[in-house]
Amino acid sequence: MILSDQLFRHSEWMPMSSSNKSLLEIKGLSKTYQNNFQALKKIDLKIQKGEFVILLGLSGSGKSTLLRCINRLIEPNEGAIIFENSDITQMSKQTLRRTRRNIGMIFQEFNLIPGFSVKTNVMTGRLGYLSTWKSIKLTVNKEISELAEQNLKRVGLQDFSKQKARNLSGGQKQRVAIARALMQEPRILLADEPVASLDPATADSVMKYLGQLNKNENITIICSLHFLSLARKYGSRVVALKAGELVFDGLPDEITNERFQQIYGENAEEIDIR
Amino acid sequence: MTQHLKENLIIFALFLFNIASLQYLLYYLNDTYSLFVLPAIFISPFISMILAVVLTMIPIKSSVELKRKFIIFLTILSIILTMIVGFLLVEIRPVKFVMNFHKAYNILDKLFNPNFSLFFPMLGSLIQTIYLALMATILAIPFAFFLSFFAARNLMPNHFIPNTIYYIVRTLSTFTRSIEAIVWAIIFTVWVGIGPFAGMLALMIHSISSLIKLYSEQIENIDHGPVEAMQATGANTLQVWIYAVIPQILSPFLAFTIYRWDINIRMATIVGFVGGGGIGQALQQQQQLLRWSNVSMIMLMIAVTVWIMDILSAKLREYLLRK
Repeated sequence: MILSDQLFRHSEWMPMSSSNKSLLEIKGLSKTYQNNFQALKKIDLKIQKGEFVILLGLSGSGKSTLLRCINRLIEPNEGAIIFENSDITQMSKQTLRRTRRNIGMIFQEFNLIPGFSVKTNVMTGRLGYLSTWKSIKLTVNKEISELAEQNLKRVGLQDFSKQKARNLSGGQKQRVAIARALMQEPRILLADEPVASLDPATADSVMKYLGQLNKNENITIICSLHFLSLARKYGSRVVALKAGELVFDGLPDEITNERFQQIYGENAEEIDIR
Repeated sequence: MTQHLKENLIIFALFLFNIASLQYLLYYLNDTYSLFVLPAIFISPFISMILAVVLTMIPIKSSVELKRKFIIFLTILSIILTMIVGFLLVEIRPVKFVMNFHKAYNILDKLFNPNFSLFFPMLGSLIQTIYLALMATILAIPFAFFLSFFAARNLMPNHFIPNTIYYIVRTLSTFTRSIEAIVWAIIFTVWVGIGPFAGMLALMIHSISSLIKLYSEQIENIDHGPVEAMQATGANTLQVWIYAVIPQILSPFLAFTIYRWDINIRMATIVGFVGGGGIGQALQQQQQLLRWSNVSMIMLMIAVTVWIMDILSAKLREYLLRK
């Protein structure tokens, strides 16, 4: 099922990919932190439009660093990140900010402002489109307010718009964060362990929303995860990192027990969650 | 630094301290009791340095275990010497304290009998003091708020110009804070004349620098997550400050400010002593006239005010920080 799906997509993108036109292309990306810890070692990765890429790997293997290098929340030391034909690593601050609009991001800790209402939190996703002066009056902006209502509806939280963000449950918070990212009208969505602090059932429901966005709106998603079962269920491709190096790139079903132990170490066993 | 070197340095420092203390003791005995005449050269820091170096040589050669014992012995010796020198330097005389009680009796008697009829005449000065502290706090807020962003390490990128601004703001704030409010009050009474305005200026200067420190530390402790989230949407620096930094710091800022008002009311009394207006100035006048029962009444009024403010501000802060 997944295989045929993948083949279909592949054929759809055949003419484009032959002329080297992927949505995101990472070339020789390296990052060494100030304490001399090398988080990424010459990563090469091509991501096509519409893919749902799952990033696997132990904590500290470089997943977060890779995701943050893509929108330059962390400055890479070396390499290029070609997003829609322009190199993000070479951009001026101004251009970078304009490009970041097209790259949504959600986080493990949701990163909402707890004292703001759900709707205001969602509206801040639009800041990249506004001048500083207009952004001061963000909360009274009618257009953005309507857009926020629409996006809250997309994640099923239209009834919660007036609540304070701190009063929501973990799963609801992550859905608000998704709605906030949708405000950017992103072409690609980076998800840094979006379900790592959620219980299994909630984790699945959050992943379901990501899966819908990927299928229905063709938003490319790169999502780091720890659970193989979720990776198999939602991912169209799995990329695994180990100590800053790419150790696996393929279909979710290709990850056998052996492969799994290569990624996660000898003694690792897959924990199944449903 | 190796463990070996560290131990030697500790031994050297302990020797230096003990020899200096011993020298002071000898000097004191010689001076007070004329027991024996010491050559002046023995009481020189130069000699004690050389002696310490020479004496340190002994444990350096010895075994590790012996060295540990040396350190323990020297530490105990230095504690004993510190106590002895302390008693002599501070001129502590317990006998005097007990035997001369009758001299203070007269004052204490009146202090415990406050002149309650002074309540209404002094109420005006008390209210002036509270307002003085309030105005000093409120007028300090905008300056401190603005400057605290430049004194927060996590908001100032590591480039030449932001770094320079950071260090200038930090240094100025530490410098003005290290000068006591009473000194500022003396400066301002000369500048704008005796009265509450001078007192307010003194407290305001002090409040600005203290609040910069408290505010900027609060900014440094914020959750970095929302900052990242805002940056990821393509927001510019100012937008990140408005939507990710300020919402996180507003209620702790308010709590700190109320705490500062509380401190300012206490400090306003002291500032009044040197001509800063308010009830402190009245207290100083009554004290000069030796009207102890009036002094006692004013002190009582100040104590009650501070007590009430203390409770109020604690409650308010608790409420704000819980939110």
